[in-house]
Amino acid sequence: MAVPAALTEDQIYHRCPIEKLDFESTDALDDLELPVGQERMLRALEFGASMKASGFNLFVLGPAGAGKHELVKRFLSQHAAGLPAPADWCHVFNFKVPDKPCAIKIPPGEGRSFKNDMNDLVSELKTAIPATFESEEYQARIQELQEEVAKRQSEGLFEIQEEANRNNIAMLATHAGFTFAPMRNGEVIDPEEYKNFSDDEKELVESKVEELQKKLQQAIQQVPRLRKEVRQRIHELNEEMVQLTLGGPMGELREKWRHVPAVVEHLDAVREDIVEHAEAFQDGEDGPPAGLLNRYRVNLLVDNAETEGAPVVYEDLPSHQHLSGQIEHRARQGNLYTDFTLIRPGSLHRANGGYLIIDARRILTQPMAWESLKRILFSGEIRIESLERLYGLATTVSQQPEPIPLSVKVVLLGDRMLYYLLSHYDPDFLDLFKVEADFEDDLDRDESSYALYARMLATMARSAGLRPLDKTGVGRLIEHASRLASDQKKLTAHDRVLKDLLSEADHWAGQAGSERIEAAHIQQAIDEREYRASRIRERSLEQIQRGVVMIATTGEHVGQVNGLSVLQIGATRFGQPTRITATARPGKGQVADIEREAKLGGPIHSKAVMILSRFLANRYAPMGQLSLSASLAFEQSYGGVEGDSASVAETCVLLSAITGVPLKQSLAVTGSMNQHGEVQAVGGVNEKIEGFFNVCRQAGDVNGQGALLPASNVEHLMLNEAVRAVVRDVRFSIYPISHIDQAIELMTGLQAGEADSEGVFPEGSFNRLVADRLEAFAKAAEHKDDNGDTDGHGDGDDD
Amino acid sequence: MMTELPSGDSGQPAAKGRILVLLDGSRVGYVVLDVAAAIAARTGAELQGVFVEEQNLLRSAGYGFAREVGSVSGVSRPLDVTALEQRMQRLAEQSRRALAGAAGHYGGRYQLSIARGSVVEEVLALAEPEDLLVLGRARWSTIPAGWLGSTARALLHRSPGRLLLWSHQQPPNHGRVVVFLNEHEGANQRAIAAAAEAAAYSRQPVTLLLSGEAGVAPDALATLKRNLGVPEPDVRVVPLPSSDPATVARVLRQEKASQLVLSRDCSLFREPGAENLLAALHLPLTITP
Repeated sequence: MAVPAALTEDQIYHRCPIEKLDFESTDALDDLELPVGQERMLRALEFGASMKASGFNLFVLGPAGAGKHELVKRFLSQHAAGLPAPADWCHVFNFKVPDKPCAIKIPPGEGRSFKNDMNDLVSELKTAIPATFESEEYQARIQELQEEVAKRQSEGLFEIQEEANRNNIAMLATHAGFTFAPMRNGEVIDPEEYKNFSDDEKELVESKVEELQKKLQQAIQQVPRLRKEVRQRIHELNEEMVQLTLGGPMGELREKWRHVPAVVEHLDAVREDIVEHAEAFQDGEDGPPAGLLNRYRVNLLVDNAETEGAPVVYEDLPSHQHLSGQIEHRARQGNLYTDFTLIRPGSLHRANGGYLIIDARRILTQPMAWESLKRILFSGEIRIESLERLYGLATTVSQQPEPIPLSVKVVLLGDRMLYYLLSHYDPDFLDLFKVEADFEDDLDRDESSYALYARMLATMARSAGLRPLDKTGVGRLIEHASRLASDQKKLTAHDRVLKDLLSEADHWAGQAGSERIEAAHIQQAIDEREYRASRIRERSLEQIQRGVVMIATTGEHVGQVNGLSVLQIGATRFGQPTRITATARPGKGQVADIEREAKLGGPIHSKAVMILSRFLANRYAPMGQLSLSASLAFEQSYGGVEGDSASVAETCVLLSAITGVPLKQSLAVTGSMNQHGEVQAVGGVNEKIEGFFNVCRQAGDVNGQGALLPASNVEHLMLNEAVRAVVRDVRFSIYPISHIDQAIELMTGLQAGEADSEGVFPEGSFNRLVADRLEAFAKAAEHKDDNGDTDGHGDGDDD
Repeated sequence: MMTELPSGDSGQPAAKGRILVLLDGSRVGYVVLDVAAAIAARTGAELQGVFVEEQNLLRSAGYGFAREVGSVSGVSRPLDVTALEQRMQRLAEQSRRALAGAAGHYGGRYQLSIARGSVVEEVLALAEPEDLLVLGRARWSTIPAGWLGSTARALLHRSPGRLLLWSHQQPPNHGRVVVFLNEHEGANQRAIAAAAEAAAYSRQPVTLLLSGEAGVAPDALATLKRNLGVPEPDVRVVPLPSSDPATVARVLRQEKASQLVLSRDCSLFREPGAENLLAALHLPLTITP
């Protein structure tokens, strides 16, 4: 198999053609209204925002920092601008059931007017009603009424007293009532003297006393009826006076609010209530009690007077209370009080008729918030309930405001994992969030995308108040965007990373006194970032330089190869070589993965080792028994090993161990391999190659070193300038390989050799060496079996 | 009549007269006692409680057919002397305790007179011109509002000294002390003296009502105002177009009267319905000789 040529500088880095950028500075570029390359997501947003049916709420999924929030808010604001502003909502006192305040819907912007009208009415009540009750007319009438009743009440007693007096009988008040006795000259006759009265006289007196007692009883028993009558008449008088006083203002208000029947109904209830409580308006020197008047006020819950179009609300703390509203309490002398004026709206109230944007992760971390949101969306109405009540912790009497009908489009923003977890575990989720708007992580990089990407950067710089970029700056940033996307044909769409980089570059441009952000400033920002995050990488390199971690970058060695791995710590990724070693001896077709045995290997790595084991068996002992007991280990690796990107390196080192042919230590290898020996793409190639290069550079002059990577990874290469320089000088070679044989040839310098139709490899080829050696292993094993000797390891599988 | 419970001395300078308070064991009576005790404490006067066992009532209970008709329920129950005497003793005892309590609360000298006979006569026998007689509008709270009891009615006219007819309704806090002046200079001075005491205690401004017939000379008025001892801005002189009860009632309302002071010789008493007006006014009423 032909050995592939080393890659050229152009193949390992996709330059941005600066000459094709037809501007000098991003100042000359227009802002971009909508993001580039997010057509799928935008169509989903458009659909979700316009779809009327219930349950078509949106979930915008994409990685954190992709600019989801800003984009969604901008898009929805534009979309909502063309929609009508929703109605205002207010709570008013419920005169029938005081703890259930009524909700009234009022045309948009008119809520304030209603509130002001009721405040004016209250002010008027404060003065007009007491003035009416203090008026001469009212006082005279009430006095007449009271006098009349008092007169009627006392008249009965007077009459009885008069009648008693006429009959020489005294009516005396006792501690608890009245008594009668015969009298003479205003004095009660002594009972002893009374004994001398004739029987007729006595009978006369006693019958009169009895008669008077009966009359008195009747008169007294009339009193409750009289009192009731007077109350009724006072009430009628109050009603009449209030009607006269409020007739004008109430009439005006009823006329003004004729178009809102609920308001008219409320005004009538207010009038009735004022009449009912007319007495309270008379009492007290400081006017009517504030508590009474406050009942006529309006709690304007949702005021859309300033709202243009439909509202777009972002709730940054989506707790249960902040979403559905809450009922506050006022502390007064150690006690908590509440009334309908203390009902506070939630973001669902404010977004009613429009859009509510919520971070999915945040709402899920707030107690009961997610359940409340779902309940509200299912029921289509906002019912304010306190958390204590939901948990059953409070049973005190509180307000239960009338629920408000809800028509809102909820837009959840979250990462993909959250979307898929919710889809899987929450049965309600897909019923309520039917529209999935998936953010692209990367954008296509082609000739047409440069101009748009440049405009995107221009918009970003302008909105963040940064210096404009010149074309070299744009070009460098486009190249870095490809590196961030780890793809020559893609550009990252990660908004936050680009913004941060631009801000840092702006800082360095400022330090340098430049008016524009140039390529050098972008590069400085990249370098500074790398430097800031380089402590662990440098420690790792230091360990290699001092020989604590053993990595050879020159010479040849049997059963030892430089694999490449990527370490990710926080947001930093860097590559470093790892020594992979192998041993081989006769056995029962077993390749021991030491990492797995030590429980340091992950399942994908184990799978890769199994594949290479099958590859060996299939290729070198297709008809016989693979008599091999081999082992593979990542030397000086004390953490876990996962992934299959070392399977090419593992195959090479295992074959070296079997054949005793040394491998070049100047070449590092990465790549995954299938059972047919084909090399497959892996991730992190840029970091891996740069990592090996750094080790080589640290070890001395870079000359003749290089790396092998899957050919299908070539288009992911966006290597840094240091690597490009040594590649340019042919001191460092990067080989794209597509088959394990290419790796073998590059690593050993021997021909790999292709099997003929009989499955026999040509003489002198590497593969022949492998096949012969395995055959020798088989014979040795057979010989041992014949002598009754067994291999120490008996748990391998036999072919 | 017997007098009991001579009490300790509070150390206050002895006032000229005593504070006579009519006790009858009713709730109104206890309210009035509290007021009287407060005045006694303020003036240093001796507090003299008067409890009269009404002879007429005792006699009426002696009749076999005597019954008591409940003032609220109208239920008729037998009434006998023994029960009534026991009740009177109980009320006298309660009054004694109440008097001791009230006087003890405010401090000061007190005594209780318990007599048997006619209430009015017994009070008049005890009262002297220097004394202040304090009583409620009616003895029993069961008597309809707006009814001046016969005892109050009689003492209003016959009391030798100053009389305070208390109202159990709370007067307004920010009201004024209203003094009804008349043509008798001496009577006016006595009324002003009573008003000055009331204003000083309540820290309320004063309104002087001048009826059309009251020919008070400007210099006499100035003297009266000066005698009030109230700062000039806090004194208002309001002429009355007439002294008929309706006009007086209106003016009193306008002035937000918290108490009314008037002389027994006042022209208002000559008006028909004046007593009814006084009964209907829910104000403490001071009648000066």
